[in-house]
Amino acid sequence: MGRRHPFSIFLQGAILTMRTGTAKAQRYGFIAAFTLPAFAFFCIFTIYPVLQALYYSLFDWSGMSEHKTFVGLDNFKAMFRDPIVWRSVGNDYFLVAGKVIGIMALATFFAVALTRFRFKLSGFFRSIFFIPNVISVVVIGVLWNFIYNPQIGFLNAFLSLFTKEKVDIAWLGFPAHTIWMLLPPAIWAGIGFYMILIIAAIQNIPSSLYEASDMEGAGQWSQFRSITLPLVWEQVKVSIIHITMTTLNGSFIIVWIMTEGGPDNSTQVMGSYMYQMAFRQFHFGFGAAIGVLILVVSLITTIVLQRLMRQETIELG
Amino acid sequence: METGIRNPVLKVVFYAILLLWSVSVIYPLIWTVLDALKDNEQFFLNAPWSLPRLPLLWDNFAYVWNHYHFDRYFVNSLVVTVGSTLLGLILSATTAYVLARYPFRGSGLLYLLYISSMMVPFILALIPLFFLMNSFHLINKPIGLILVYASSQFAFGIFVLVGFFKSLPKELEESSVIDGASHFGTFFRVMLPLSQPGLITIAIVNVLNIWNEYIIGTILINDPQQYTLPVEIAVMQKEMQYRTEWGPLFAGLLFTIVPVLIVYIAFQRKIASGITAGAIK
Repeated sequence: MGRRHPFSIFLQGAILTMRTGTAKAQRYGFIAAFTLPAFAFFCIFTIYPVLQALYYSLFDWSGMSEHKTFVGLDNFKAMFRDPIVWRSVGNDYFLVAGKVIGIMALATFFAVALTRFRFKLSGFFRSIFFIPNVISVVVIGVLWNFIYNPQIGFLNAFLSLFTKEKVDIAWLGFPAHTIWMLLPPAIWAGIGFYMILIIAAIQNIPSSLYEASDMEGAGQWSQFRSITLPLVWEQVKVSIIHITMTTLNGSFIIVWIMTEGGPDNSTQVMGSYMYQMAFRQFHFGFGAAIGVLILVVSLITTIVLQRLMRQETIELG
Repeated sequence: METGIRNPVLKVVFYAILLLWSVSVIYPLIWTVLDALKDNEQFFLNAPWSLPRLPLLWDNFAYVWNHYHFDRYFVNSLVVTVGSTLLGLILSATTAYVLARYPFRGSGLLYLLYISSMMVPFILALIPLFFLMNSFHLINKPIGLILVYASSQFAFGIFVLVGFFKSLPKELEESSVIDGASHFGTFFRVMLPLSQPGLITIAIVNVLNIWNEYIIGTILINDPQQYTLPVEIAVMQKEMQYRTEWGPLFAGLLFTIVPVLIVYIAFQRKIASGITAGAIK
């Protein structure tokens, strides 16, 4: 087959003209092939369910029967009359406040200590402190349940060392205080992530600033206040908003694993109550309405927080 | 030059705090291992920090593996994690490449749409997702979980990779095009290999998230045959109320923790860079 068939030459020419002539079409074909599959996924598994949630919230629906009853805003009215919903919102904000304060204080302290204090073993500490962040919330919940366990738990056994009689406090059994018991695991599990963020921000600060301040004889505390804090403030803001959002949207998992919202609905957060109403009591319309509440609450909270924290960010000239 | 803390008392105090926190992180892991080797009697009679009695009960591991079917759950978790990470990676990489290099009418809007989906609480979609998957007959199917997990990674993946592709020099593609490569060829032969560091970072962060994911797993999977590890751990914990087998429970926790710890130790730096990349919004 030494000679090329005339037809193949013709075909090649045709392809060549098509290539140059329709480079644009090819470009769009490429764009479509590369973006449409992902976009289809995104529409089906993200956009559609979100819109559908808004729609469901207007119906009374047990989920099992085909017919849903349109009830307008009745789910929302019922929601605002339900004291557990209000308690959930309160608990959510309690966890947000507790986590923001606890995590930011400790994460900032650790970040400064592991960068500016020049301790030996800094790298080791940093690796250790991040470990809770790679462990499943479910595992963390089980571990802390064991710490709080009244009979064989760690906390009671530890306290028993100092008392004559064996301590048998049911740490997760008091309606008035149990929500406090959920803060330590939430803070413990969250610190590493934000510590890494703030460490990265501190490492971006030019060392010349610290050197100049060293020469003036400034101590660690004054360096922290005049250099570190202003220059990592942007990262602190991002972290606070991130903690707030992830808590409002995701704190229910640790609640669900540790207390299922109990005792007596006292530790219910919006997410766990939504889960309970929808998947345990089959009020899917009411559940969807709580979902909408979560969306609204977290959007408003984020916007308000951003407003409140709008302070001049210092740009390095 | 002055280094670190001058006041020796403060220095000791700070060191003590750091050590204390390290202990609070590591100790629960150590005691998970110790408790996985105990029987019920030791749980109820001895202090939680006591060492397990000899001979060690290695049987607990075999017991959860076979009797609680952790062999199956481990494989389920592995399949779902690997499958959805790969699928999510290829879909977000292709989209990110086009958004970074092939601007078209509406591409800015599309980017914004993906990124702003990070603001919407995923829990909102939970109820409709259940009925959607039900109507696709994808409840209790690993493939259903894979599809949902894959699309849950888009926002983060696209955000990081668009930045990554934009940072690569344009000359590389141009010379590839001059050599006669197609758009597809350029992407798969030139750009994808170059973006490996970014892809690996995203893959690791996603692997950790999906391996640990609980709530979508528990909603889309009701069939005990198809549980993932976190779903089974939660179920097992509930069962402890009437069937106390603490040793096996801790052994089960270890099957969940050890793989992520290995990934973490191997890819520490990648994880840190993934976090910083994702959070600077």
